[in-house]
Amino acid sequence: MSATPAPGTVATLSFAGELATLTLAAPHRSLPVIDLAMLEDLERAVAELERRADWQGLLVRGRDERTFAAGADLDAIEAIADEDEARRLVERGQALHSRFEDLRAREKRGRMVAAVGGACAGGAYELCLALDLVVAADAPGTRIGLPEVKLGILPAWGGATRLPRRVGAKKALDIILKGRLHAAKEALRAGMVDRLCAPEDLLRIAAEVARGERGLARRGRGLGALLVDKNPFACAMVAGAARRAVLRSTGGHYQAPLDIARIVPFAALASRADSLRAESEAARRLAASPTTRNLLRVFRGVERAKKLGSAADGARPAPVRELGVVGAGVMGAGIAGAAARRGVAVRLADTRQAALDSATTAHRLELDKRLRARRVEGHEARAALDRLDATLDLATLRHADAVVEAIVEQLAPKRELLARLEQHVSADCLLATNTSSLSVGELQGALARPERVVGLHFFNPVERMPLVEVVRGERTSDASVARAAALALSMEKTPVVVADVPGFLVNRVLGPYLDEALALLSSGVPAALLDAALRRFGMPMGPLELLDEVGFDVAAHAARTLASAYGARMGPGDRLDAAIAAGALGRKSGRGFYAHGAGRARLRADASALVAALGARSPLADPDAVAARLVLATLAEAFRCLEARVVESEDDLDLAYVLGTGFAPFRGGPLRHARAMGLARVVDELRRTQDEPDVRARPGGPERFEPCPLLLSLADR
Amino acid sequence: MSGDPLVLAAGVRTPLARAGGAFAKEDAGRLGALVARELLARAPWRPDEVDELVAGCVGVPHDQANVGRVVAVRAGLPTSTPARTVQRNCASGMEAVDCAAMAIESGRARLVLCVGVEVMSRYPLCFGEAATAWFERLSRAKSPWSKLAAFAGLRPSMLAPKVALLEGLTDPLSGLIMGRTAELLAREWSISREDADRFALRSHERARAARDSGRLAREIVPVLPLEARPGAGALSHDDSIRDGQTLEALAKLPPWFEKPDGRVTVGNSCGITDGACALLVCRESFARAAGVAPLARLVGRAWSGCDPARMGLGPVQATARLLRDTGRALADMDVVEINEAFAAQVLACEKAFDSAAHAREHWGGAPLGQLDWSRTNANGGAIALGHPVGATGARLLLTAAHELAARGGGHALATLCIGGGQGGAFLLEGAA
Repeated sequence: MSATPAPGTVATLSFAGELATLTLAAPHRSLPVIDLAMLEDLERAVAELERRADWQGLLVRGRDERTFAAGADLDAIEAIADEDEARRLVERGQALHSRFEDLRAREKRGRMVAAVGGACAGGAYELCLALDLVVAADAPGTRIGLPEVKLGILPAWGGATRLPRRVGAKKALDIILKGRLHAAKEALRAGMVDRLCAPEDLLRIAAEVARGERGLARRGRGLGALLVDKNPFACAMVAGAARRAVLRSTGGHYQAPLDIARIVPFAALASRADSLRAESEAARRLAASPTTRNLLRVFRGVERAKKLGSAADGARPAPVRELGVVGAGVMGAGIAGAAARRGVAVRLADTRQAALDSATTAHRLELDKRLRARRVEGHEARAALDRLDATLDLATLRHADAVVEAIVEQLAPKRELLARLEQHVSADCLLATNTSSLSVGELQGALARPERVVGLHFFNPVERMPLVEVVRGERTSDASVARAAALALSMEKTPVVVADVPGFLVNRVLGPYLDEALALLSSGVPAALLDAALRRFGMPMGPLELLDEVGFDVAAHAARTLASAYGARMGPGDRLDAAIAAGALGRKSGRGFYAHGAGRARLRADASALVAALGARSPLADPDAVAARLVLATLAEAFRCLEARVVESEDDLDLAYVLGTGFAPFRGGPLRHARAMGLARVVDELRRTQDEPDVRARPGGPERFEPCPLLLSLADR
Repeated sequence: MSGDPLVLAAGVRTPLARAGGAFAKEDAGRLGALVARELLARAPWRPDEVDELVAGCVGVPHDQANVGRVVAVRAGLPTSTPARTVQRNCASGMEAVDCAAMAIESGRARLVLCVGVEVMSRYPLCFGEAATAWFERLSRAKSPWSKLAAFAGLRPSMLAPKVALLEGLTDPLSGLIMGRTAELLAREWSISREDADRFALRSHERARAARDSGRLAREIVPVLPLEARPGAGALSHDDSIRDGQTLEALAKLPPWFEKPDGRVTVGNSCGITDGACALLVCRESFARAAGVAPLARLVGRAWSGCDPARMGLGPVQATARLLRDTGRALADMDVVEINEAFAAQVLACEKAFDSAAHAREHWGGAPLGQLDWSRTNANGGAIALGHPVGATGARLLLTAAHELAARGGGHALATLCIGGGQGGAFLLEGAA
């Protein structure tokens, strides 16, 4: 950011007649946030408001009707070194907001009104909550909410206290625990704001409300206030239910939602001072915790990745307005649908009409879901419907700005397809391959313009998985990498540029992890223990559950690719062959390690029979040891990737692995986890694992846990 | 003819689906946009090179009064591109092409996207005037008491809806529903029930052969209908074609419009159908410059009116004008596509084409001559394929153009009768 701005210019206070206007100008920032300079100015402003008696109403506004403030300054949160510092920052914000709230007690006829447009999140919305009324711009850019939980903290500038008083404990819990930002209409429905108006009218109408010239009242809580908010039994029930739900969904790995579930239900019952104190006590512990630092790092990584969509000089590549997708299998259909739902016009080509039909149907069902959830309106759903066309004729992709192929994972058909595409598309059309196992360099093969071929590796299910590996092939140009990244970004995915090595980054690091799980299963470690151990570590699902989701055939194909590229440390690549031959493919066949039917998948009693037993039995019996073994396999390969410069930085590696596999986000990724363990200890444990009898007995076992030279030298430092 | 004729540069249509069937949940805007997008994807031109979109549609959806504009924007044309909807009853799709031709001839446009579309499944039920007045009183009532009083004014008879489809198929000039105009022609031109049934059977047989040989598929883009069940497939063929149609089965059907002695049955009439068809119209040089081999040249267009009660003879008068204007004879035609509204109506046209009395009375000249059935409706017609009224005019041109190409060129006549007493006749020339 630029130099420190002059005091009094960040939040400016002006008076016109009896209306005081506080403007969050933040001239030193492209997007205003509540940083230290803003805090100081706000404190100065509230002091002046307290001192002067010549104002009747207060309007708090952004620099224009589509900008308010995006929340607290993340740099300030990141800089917090200990609990003491955290406490000071929290209490400073709380005191500020309470002083605004206390201005209400003044004799006056006008009111304090926030005029909100654009992003109004976290600390900025907490300021609004301290005022009387919130008027919001009814515009697509309006986003209001309290997303603190996503960074492992809670809204501690009074948000956890004032939102439940405004909308009731249940709704407040939902809003704060999910941390989602709400569009204008949603915010009004939830009672987070009191009125909407056109952005062009926002400042005028909010000023009229503040001056008391226009009526507006907060929607009361009615009977709910009596029956729930002020009823200790109801509050306790709400809190209990919230706690159970949080434990179910987080496995107890995150403290912030537990604190929220503890504090929010009683906010209306307790005094303001007590509730704020509870906020502050929780926040100071959370803000200084490694979880928050790790989540912030992931968040920062996602923000940093957004720069990949433009060239080094900031120039943006020509946007992909029309996208061709070839292959309507699971991946192709997923890519086509996800793009169409995010504004890209897609033509999906396949040789099988039935595959096209099911891809179209899947897109429609997804749209129906959003319609029912009122996340889109009818005309938006119709437009999204129109953005996916299916065709049997490859030549009709002629107008595409980019084509992603997602056909069968074999070199010859893919090369042939790319050559055919080159006949149809324009000279500057980007050609991307969604291959997960082939070399982009080899696919560039004999093409006339190899520089426009890039890997664009999406993860399954495309709709939900946030990561896209952008694979730079041997002859891929920088412009193509930037354009591919921009396409991923336009699909609201996070791109990470990776080198053209077998398995790229995520599948390569995942390989030893999954094979180790199968090896342990073959050596007598119970299936239930395996999955439970890794869930306990913080993975979203255990390795066997993951194999069921991925599909055994896909996993086996990946494993073979890795085995032939990297040798024995990746495992034999055939551990699932017998199961596949017997028709067990995981979820898609209804049968894998789990039985998938209606309702929840259940672990099958004979799960371990799917893999051949190994001679050497594993001594591992407790979940921590099992998790440690699998994580060590991950770490060893992650450092090898870093050494081979598969990604540019440790940050990128962790970001990709967290987003690509769900690797315990609160641990910040494999490398961050290794550093938290201490690299010397990682090396020691790797060495010890190499000597375990079941590892030694296995071909490639010791190699898997061999610390690479980079890890050794980093550990030495 | 000018040195740079108009051409149908390219075209595509949906399969035609029996109303209330596959496309029952479609809407005209989306179906029209789908064929328009498909056509643009196949053609070398970008959406911003289209100067105008003209849509033909008879029963525009109540929520899409200018359905052409809806089609244009949903098809991805820039919002700056103008679009309109034109209506000439059963010839609306042909009218769209006529409008495109005039826009190009006037120099205002170079490339026009024509769409004919009809979703007859979605024709609404309407309330009568009494019910409408009741609704109005109710909505104006302010106090609870006056609301109750207004509500009490409801009579059961008001709830009987008027079927827009039936009202739309009834000609207000003659007071006859379309089927009865065909009955009139059958009586006057001595078309027997058996003649009509035989004609219908042949239409189905020809359509089936054309479907099975892949001839019709060349015109069609498969469509996965809106709200198709998960697991259901796209519709890729016209679904009114009856594979097992027999003369015996046809003979068993009761007359529909004039009981008990009529000759027009649902078996020897065209079905109520949904579908859409898109055509790109431009000058030949414009198409060739973009590397497009046009489907056919559009070398003549004629319209004519006739007696509303005998609207089925419209093709005869219109064709007479077309041939007079272009200096051609019926015998010159290598392909004829005449719309099969009713078997009896087409057979009456056949007789009228060759009738000296009819010629004398209507254009004071010689009869046009005999229709050669080996070259006429070679792939069946609306009796087998269906007649989505707004789309049919464009569909006939598309089918005729493809048939010309299949037969190595020459001339094609596409003609149809129009409710209210008109006929349209367009002349195509092979562009190979």
